Amino acid sequence: MAVIQIDHLTKDYGHNRGVFDVSFKVEKGEVYGFLGPNGAGKTTAIRHIMGFSRPQAGQTFVNGLDSWKYASEIQKGLGYLPGEIALPESMKGTEFIQMMAELRGIKDRTYTNYLIKKFELEPSGSLKRMSLGMKRKLGIVTAFMHDPSILVLDEPTSGLDPIMQNVFIEFIKEEKEKGKTILLSSHIFKEIDATCDKISIIKEGRLVSSFVADDLRNSKEKTFKMEFQMKEFYERFSNEIPSNSQFQIISLKPDKNQAIVSIPDATINEFVAFISNYDLKFFSEIKFTLEDYFMKFYDRKAKQGGGIN
Amino acid sequence: MFSKTIFKQTLKANLKLWMIFTIITSALLGLLIAVFEPSTISSMTNMAEGTPLADLLKNTTFLGMLSSTFYSIHGILLPIIYIIMTANILIASQVDRGSMAYLLSTPTKRSTVVVTQAVYLIVALIVMLSIATLVGVISIQIFQSDVNVSNSDFLMLNLGWFLLMFAISGISFLFSCIFNLSKNSLALGAGIPIAFFLFELMSSVSNSLDKFKYISINTLFAKDAILNGDSYTIPFFILAILGIVLYGIGIRVFKEKDLPL
Repeated sequence: MAVIQIDHLTKDYGHNRGVFDVSFKVEKGEVYGFLGPNGAGKTTAIRHIMGFSRPQAGQTFVNGLDSWKYASEIQKGLGYLPGEIALPESMKGTEFIQMMAELRGIKDRTYTNYLIKKFELEPSGSLKRMSLGMKRKLGIVTAFMHDPSILVLDEPTSGLDPIMQNVFIEFIKEEKEKGKTILLSSHIFKEIDATCDKISIIKEGRLVSSFVADDLRNSKEKTFKMEFQMKEFYERFSNEIPSNSQFQIISLKPDKNQAIVSIPDATINEFVAFISNYDLKFFSEIKFTLEDYFMKFYDRKAKQGGGIN
Repeated sequence: MFSKTIFKQTLKANLKLWMIFTIITSALLGLLIAVFEPSTISSMTNMAEGTPLADLLKNTTFLGMLSSTFYSIHGILLPIIYIIMTANILIASQVDRGSMAYLLSTPTKRSTVVVTQAVYLIVALIVMLSIATLVGVISIQIFQSDVNVSNSDFLMLNLGWFLLMFAISGISFLFSCIFNLSKNSLALGAGIPIAFFLFELMSSVSNSLDKFKYISINTLFAKDAILNGDSYTIPFFILAILGIVLYGIGIRVFKEKDLPL
């Protein structure tokens, strides 16, 4: 049984906003990345997982329980970090932690104190005067203080400084080691790339691609960029290479004597033999990143679909 | 159904506002009782004769004077303002700002949150009006010991006062539960109680506007009936039922609605 299951979820807010027939599963121990530009429907989907909203069609389940019907039951083993930090302003940080501990029924504060130390939280001040980063740290501590087995994180690192972002990513990795199930919504490639096993990309309320992250990382093709010493080498190359169907030209820059080619891993030796006939200035691999893949979906004009399905 | 932790937190967050309104309301009642002099009232009645205000001052007994001043104007408006502000803070403003997400991301049921907030508002009103009543009783003992005041009439006046405020708080609380934006919750949660207040005031000022009393629940606070010894059981009963129903609907709406958190 999947820990988090979204089953044909539809919620139409009008004006093409909301989510439309979205389905995916997060299995136990998985870190699932949920990528998409602002307003694509990430938060809407999470709202349903949390039981804040009732689906128009479809269902969401956590540990097999319907999110809408069993919202409070589900929260016992779930930690939720909202995308926007809105804390009750009249309280002090310590009072807020105290209240959340009482509502969660936490008596032993060892783990809470460990989190406070880890994220360098200073909870003594009033929430009204806290910086955005401090509020977010407070959100992190109160979301995980009961050591939940499921984490639902909505853009967790926004508002954190780069050092804290790394601390957070390390924390996610540790939680993953402990076997936690994590749903991470984000538009920041770094945190998705560093942690996720599976990724879904959502655009305008619809899932446009779902894939296993390692498949993308270990693509069976590599892309190389090279520059030739002289014009004549470049021209000979651009004339000869089309005859070899295994090597594919991605782009050519005649003014700089540069070429970008895509080579299947299986033919890499042939390509090395082939290219050794030319006098090169440099030769380098262009790493394919999640960002490149993702940008294809950002770009409204691009007609290419998802590479791996 | 009820969370001590949330109640404690709500109590603390709203203590200042509650204290301000309790002090002002109680002090005003105490003061109005203290400065009452039968001769002032009769001279005021003479002055007002022939003007629209004459109707307002027609009852020249001590409680009649209180009922046409404090229990018609100050004592109504002040708690209404408190109710409007507090009802919005308790639910709609927390949904609007998003801070409700923290409460609901704990194993706290929605019904527990909304019932606790409703209980707070009702208890806050009971205590506020009880303190004012107590101040009133003491002020009568000290300043009006020579005037013949019916204690039971005074207490009934205050019971009616509470029942009206209970019903009005039900209106504001209901709209706080319905709307996700503070501005919408305030528009109706404040607009309707203030309209009711104005309608009743208009109907008491001029005979030609008398019909307005039929579209204001404030009329159900049957002050004249109490003072004239008529029956007021039915209007009081209606106010109590109205309050219970409005709170009930509010709680239900909040349990079932979509929250943009």
